[in-house]
Amino acid sequence: MHKLPRIGLRGRLVLVALILLIIPWAGYSYIKATEQLLREQQERQLMAAARAVAAALHDRPRLATLREESPDGEAARAEVRALVTGIARAGLRIWMIDNRLQLIAVAGDISDGAQVSSDDATFGIVERTVRAALRPLLARWLDAPDLPAEEFIPNDVVFGGREVERALDGAPSIKRRPGPGGSAPIVTATHPVWVGETVVGATVVEESTAAAVSFRDRAIERLIAVTLIAFGAAALVLLVFASRISIRLRRLRDEAERAIDSRGHVRALVTGGDARDEIGDLSRSFSLALTRLADYNAYLEDLARRLAHELRTPIAVVRSSLDNLRMKKLPEDATVYVDRAEGGLQRLDTVLTRMAEASRLEQAVRTGERERYDATAVVAGCVAGYATAYPATRFDLKLPRHPVMINGAPDLFAQMLDKLVANAVDFAADGSAVEIRLEMRGTTAVLSVSNRGARLPENLRLFESMQSARGTPTQGTIQGHDIHLGLGLYIVRLIAEFHRGRARAENLADGSGVRFSVEIPTLVVD
Amino acid sequence: MPYSIAIIEDDPAIGANYADALKAHGYAVELHADRKSAMAALQARLPDLVLLDIGLAGEPDAGFEICRKLRSQSATLPIIFLTARDNEFDMVSGLRLGADDYVTKTVSLPHLLARIAALFRRAELGSAAASGEDVLARGALLMDLKRFAVTWNDKPVDLTLTEFWLVHALARFPGHVKNREQLMTEAHIVVDDSTITSHIKRMRRKFVAIDAGFDRIDTVYGMGYRWKADT
Repeated sequence: MHKLPRIGLRGRLVLVALILLIIPWAGYSYIKATEQLLREQQERQLMAAARAVAAALHDRPRLATLREESPDGEAARAEVRALVTGIARAGLRIWMIDNRLQLIAVAGDISDGAQVSSDDATFGIVERTVRAALRPLLARWLDAPDLPAEEFIPNDVVFGGREVERALDGAPSIKRRPGPGGSAPIVTATHPVWVGETVVGATVVEESTAAAVSFRDRAIERLIAVTLIAFGAAALVLLVFASRISIRLRRLRDEAERAIDSRGHVRALVTGGDARDEIGDLSRSFSLALTRLADYNAYLEDLARRLAHELRTPIAVVRSSLDNLRMKKLPEDATVYVDRAEGGLQRLDTVLTRMAEASRLEQAVRTGERERYDATAVVAGCVAGYATAYPATRFDLKLPRHPVMINGAPDLFAQMLDKLVANAVDFAADGSAVEIRLEMRGTTAVLSVSNRGARLPENLRLFESMQSARGTPTQGTIQGHDIHLGLGLYIVRLIAEFHRGRARAENLADGSGVRFSVEIPTLVVD
Repeated sequence: MPYSIAIIEDDPAIGANYADALKAHGYAVELHADRKSAMAALQARLPDLVLLDIGLAGEPDAGFEICRKLRSQSATLPIIFLTARDNEFDMVSGLRLGADDYVTKTVSLPHLLARIAALFRRAELGSAAASGEDVLARGALLMDLKRFAVTWNDKPVDLTLTEFWLVHALARFPGHVKNREQLMTEAHIVVDDSTITSHIKRMRRKFVAIDAGFDRIDTVYGMGYRWKADT
């Protein structure tokens, strides 16, 4: 019916839970800001270190002789080496180059950077799983090289980058470059070393950002783990909540659908009858509406009976008046009118009797006594009677050879067959036979009456009270045979149900007529 | 002295019509419209027959109560329920309270007069011996057509007038199947044919109460009923 896919209440609530995804976004921004802070701090520290080294070397007279192949130069280089070695530490590498880009001294090793243990996971298995899944992704995503490759400088080669040149020109600078082999970027601070007014060299201080990167990665992993856990928990809670509502609503719906059966009988709802929320309200208002409907149905069902009852008294007035009139000496031409009045009265009486018949039968069915009887004998007896009742119609009877024992009331069964046959005779095409069959299908006895003639009308609830496929009974006769209130098949259904069976109407397979059948469970022979 | 008939009926038109018809046939008629005045008059002097409506102004079951009181006053007073109700429950209730017959208001006056006459005859001849001509004997069944009395194996069967006529219609020609319309005509029943079934059931029960092996009233499905001939 719907073009759009149906989204259940549960699905919707889970979608709502997606709002929780704002958590990782906010967290990520925070982590980014923190990382930036850490990086700037590191850069400031590095620059401070470079400046300190440079300051230590400033104005040392021996530095002027750095490049000389003399004992002085050698001593100066040794002094620089000693100084640099003294300052360098694990993870911090210090270079000293002279103004001709000659390496004077180098100490320290950036690859010794602080290794962070990656095994402490606050959120246990979730965090470890997230880490395993995200490590390659994070590496690619966050550590994309932001520097051109030509500035990538191997460890043991003296480099001549723009920074060094700037330092040799007298300007300190700071620079990041990707670490070797895709490891964490390396921060490089360069500072000129002055002797008097001339730059004699530059100090280069390098440090790996491994610690910051590691911190950032751990933070992101933890964030994702937290988000997943929160999302999972929220979704679970919402799912449970939505399921409860959904189940209650579905039960209410099913019950509401079943509340009115095909016969229009109404049952009360029980789901959420005393729940103090909207679903309870809905259930109660449904119940109220259904109760009103049931009352109305009962009123309608009772109407025919009460109408018949109420009309009997005025009919009695008319009849007794006419009878009294007849006992008087009436002029000849007046008796004609008395006769006509009586004819009309008789018709009215027949209508009333038929109207009351169904309700009387309902009563009989309710209080009816059951007995075991052979349906074959009843059908055979009835059909023998129909030959005299309907002399113009042929009956084609097929019975099983063995008795068909059913539990019910033979009188009612006969009445049911009467109605089916009367219906078939009325609708049978001229000269065609009415076929009456009683047969066994498994443990079910099937009584069917079929006739040639018009097909069943569409959408007519044949087995309901006051439904008729016939036209308006304007041509009713005094005998009442042609007065139809559409109660015959309703009576058939009542009696079929009294026998714990059901009545069906269908067109014949070849479309030449209709068949009404009644399926009744037989007694299991002990 | 003419027979006196009390009509207890709250609809003035019906009451007046019945009263006129009965007067025309020589009965003395008194008409009561509600339970109080009826009870007062009836306790002062019992009529020879009572025509009783069940629902009286504002009291849906007043007729039943009057019937019970009348029956306690007199065991033989003929009582006919005359009512717009035709459901079996009311009919059974009325007959259980000891009414002699139960007819719906749509009964024609000639039918009603026939019933009244029959009941008077039964009361009149209650003690007289049956003469040969007015007796129908079918094996163990003995029907006194004058007194409307039935015996089975010499034990009296307490049948209402309608039931008596039904048994008579069946037993007159044993073995012949009578359909519902024939039975209705012969028993002067004017209600619809489904009440025949309940009449037959009640008759069977009354016979079975006397003789557990009673099976003479035979149902021929789709056709009617018959009195099984002696074998």
